[in-house]
Amino acid sequence: MNTSNHGAPIGIGRIWNWRITAISAVILLVVALVGVSFGPISLNFAKILRTLVGAPHGLTGQERVLLLDLRIPRVLLAALVGAALASSGAVYQTVFRNPLADPYLLGAAAGAGLGATLAITSSGGNVYGLLPIFSFIGGVLAVLTTFFISGKFFAEPNSLLLSGIAVGSFATAIQTYLQQRHSSALRPVYSWILGELTVANWQVVRWSSLYILSAIAILITVSKQLDGLMLSDEESFSLGINPNRLRIIAVAAATLATATAVSASGLIGFVGIVVPHLVRGITHRVTNRSLGAIAMMGAAFLVIADLGARTLLSPAELPIGVITAFVGAPFFLVVLRRKRVSP
Amino acid sequence: MSRMKYALPVLVSLALITPLSPSTAASKIPTVVVQSGGFPTKIIGVPKRIISLSPTATETLFAIGAGSQVIAVDDLSNYPANAPITKLSAFTPNVEALAAKRPDLIILSVDSTNSMAVRKSLNLLNIPVLMEKAPSQLSDAYSEILAMGLATSHVAKAKALVATMKTSINKIVSASKRKNSLTFFHELDSTLYSATSKTFIGHVYADFNLINIADKAAGADASGYPQLSQEYLITANPQIIFLGDAQYGENAKTLAGRPGWSAIDAVKYGHVVELPSDIPSRWGPRLVQFYQFIADSIAKIN
Amino acid sequence: MISVQDLSIRAGDKVILNHISVDIPLTKWTCLVGPNGAGKTTFLRALLGLQPYSGSITQGGHEVYRSHMRNVAFVPQQPQIPMGMTVAEYVALGRAKRDGWGKESTKSRNLIYEILLQTQLYGLHQQHVSALSGGEMQRALIARALAQEPEIILLDEPTSALDLHHQIATLNNIEILKERGVTIISTMHDITLAAMYAERIVVMHEGRILLEGPAASVIHSAELKEAFDNRINVYTLDSGRPVIVAAKEERI
Repeated sequence: MNTSNHGAPIGIGRIWNWRITAISAVILLVVALVGVSFGPISLNFAKILRTLVGAPHGLTGQERVLLLDLRIPRVLLAALVGAALASSGAVYQTVFRNPLADPYLLGAAAGAGLGATLAITSSGGNVYGLLPIFSFIGGVLAVLTTFFISGKFFAEPNSLLLSGIAVGSFATAIQTYLQQRHSSALRPVYSWILGELTVANWQVVRWSSLYILSAIAILITVSKQLDGLMLSDEESFSLGINPNRLRIIAVAAATLATATAVSASGLIGFVGIVVPHLVRGITHRVTNRSLGAIAMMGAAFLVIADLGARTLLSPAELPIGVITAFVGAPFFLVVLRRKRVSP
Repeated sequence: MSRMKYALPVLVSLALITPLSPSTAASKIPTVVVQSGGFPTKIIGVPKRIISLSPTATETLFAIGAGSQVIAVDDLSNYPANAPITKLSAFTPNVEALAAKRPDLIILSVDSTNSMAVRKSLNLLNIPVLMEKAPSQLSDAYSEILAMGLATSHVAKAKALVATMKTSINKIVSASKRKNSLTFFHELDSTLYSATSKTFIGHVYADFNLINIADKAAGADASGYPQLSQEYLITANPQIIFLGDAQYGENAKTLAGRPGWSAIDAVKYGHVVELPSDIPSRWGPRLVQFYQFIADSIAKIN
Repeated sequence: MISVQDLSIRAGDKVILNHISVDIPLTKWTCLVGPNGAGKTTFLRALLGLQPYSGSITQGGHEVYRSHMRNVAFVPQQPQIPMGMTVAEYVALGRAKRDGWGKESTKSRNLIYEILLQTQLYGLHQQHVSALSGGEMQRALIARALAQEPEIILLDEPTSALDLHHQIATLNNIEILKERGVTIISTMHDITLAAMYAERIVVMHEGRILLEGPAASVIHSAELKEAFDNRINVYTLDSGRPVIVAAKEERI
């Protein structure tokens, strides 16, 4: 509680809680360090630190390449994807006024999957370079289609939801048909769905960071106004917001982040739902005001999940979607129970 | 650099012996560039710590005398029995786990998850990766054996193995070819997925002059594995049925239990062949055994 | 004055508002009455500026559609209840237009404090909005509208969720705004209450305005009865206050 000069003993508190954001940043840093330190090949921790800061007597040769060209890109990509999915999820939950909304709601996942399948089944040989572009475009086009078929109720949440279901189902149907006609594509598509975190490289990190960080920056900029979207359109309009325009901006940025995340790392579920609730549960603040913290906690969450993915079943890799589901599903139940208990 | 499409046959390039730079020692280290699976792989020296992530490659390596150079094979490489089998996965290779074994050559299937990215990452760690692709016909399989011989410095043995295989297979096929060819259905699973003559196994059957009823549905799947309808199957009335899913419990009795199937010639006269689990999916040295098995099955039917 | 001229609103083939024209005076309390489906809520949304229309609604010479120039508060019949927000934060949203989103001035903080006391929400101010009862929620809505310090306040059925005692308390709170020169426009089912508080009444029926004018004369008019299919009775108490009740039909 803040105390003002005039004796009014209450205040709404700071909109941006710097403490929470700072704590999240520290957690992310620690988790990232843990992430680069573990794996089937054990590296000396002191040497890792020295290599990272550029001091002498760090890692050399194959170990150095392992750290710099394999592990660090992988941890960075996990962080980026986690941040993208968590912040998109938080924004979608606000826009759709639904605590169970996730970033794949408007057909982004199905569209990206269709794009990836198209790339694999038509490109013949050189899939590797084209696939991220195809899946990105697929995801974005699917969401655009969702908007346009919601018709005159443009950007109205309920009609968007229904349109999203329609678009998603249609895209999935086409994808299934293509896979039936090209059975050799089954394995590559399956492996794409499982995610590319396992073989991240600096190139992927470069282009995905560009899009994801831009999108998150946009979201954080409008995050304060997003509170208004939690009210009905009449109420938010009277408070000075253009609800439709704000929804479009928010969904566009969130879709950019989601489509990039999916094309870089396949379909990883539950992050977008679990992390916003987790942060809100700990901070007891409105989701939109902790968007920065949510992004960073999402990053940390996925880095830890990725750590589990490569150590739990070593030498095999456990698909990261399995881990996020194992954590996410029980979490879901807890959230649902709590909603029923409270009035 | 030409980009080889996967569908083209595997080529083997000539061995290149590169001269050493003047600053190093006098003895020449042989370097080869092996073209396999559509990708060139540069191998310096003779690899002594090979990891094979392909059951077929494992069989081939041991057959050409490179067995002592193999330090680990994937969890599905169950032949020969003395191969150093590990928990490494052929389908989902783990880059770090592979690198931890300090190999100097890895044989990786193009069909494994993220194979291109895995290859790139391993190359970054200075580990050469020989790509292996499922062949579409016999000549591809022979090329692969030769490629492996080149890579492991057992060229002569590889050539000899290929020659033996060619002779044996030719003998088996010519002894078995019949004037009036039989129609057959190759069943991949109980939902009636089959393989056309475009596939490797389809070519094997074609070598025996057998007529594949799945060829009529060739347009349904670009890779040659269409799903047939029950009605078509019963109408086509194949004379032989080869069960690729015998390992999952399908046999003549289960087929007879399917509605309408007892009318099919193959089922009526008991011309149902249960294929063994491993051999049909390996295209290494045991191909000869597979051809022999088919020949024996056809002979039994007569 | 808010000048409505030849206002029509359609939804597909259905006509919701049918060429209505009326002048709504500022700083007074105008109440829209009429049966369900008369178009009251749609009219209110049009006055807010969120509903597209043909015809014109002007205030100070400017069309109100999508105009953020005025400071208009809207109190809906059923609000969308946000997750994870405390009552204090909810009321503070009303200051967003003046302070800017995400900022809070000292003046605002004081104003919110006073409003919370005035609406008897001070004890609940740390509670989550989602945990409020119906009556408390209604008070929070009013509080937020008050926090906006609006020129115009639009209320859609402000008393329908409340018990009798709170109905009067709420309407009294709103009446205070008149002293500050705020224009009040509300829709109400309870015409007796409307008669108690409104200065002007607009009778609506199937998208048209049957009559509008000073409350006293409209209450006793034939048009009011006509709007409700002549199924209401208007009585006058000794104190002069009108009471409007539904007529019970004789069973045949």
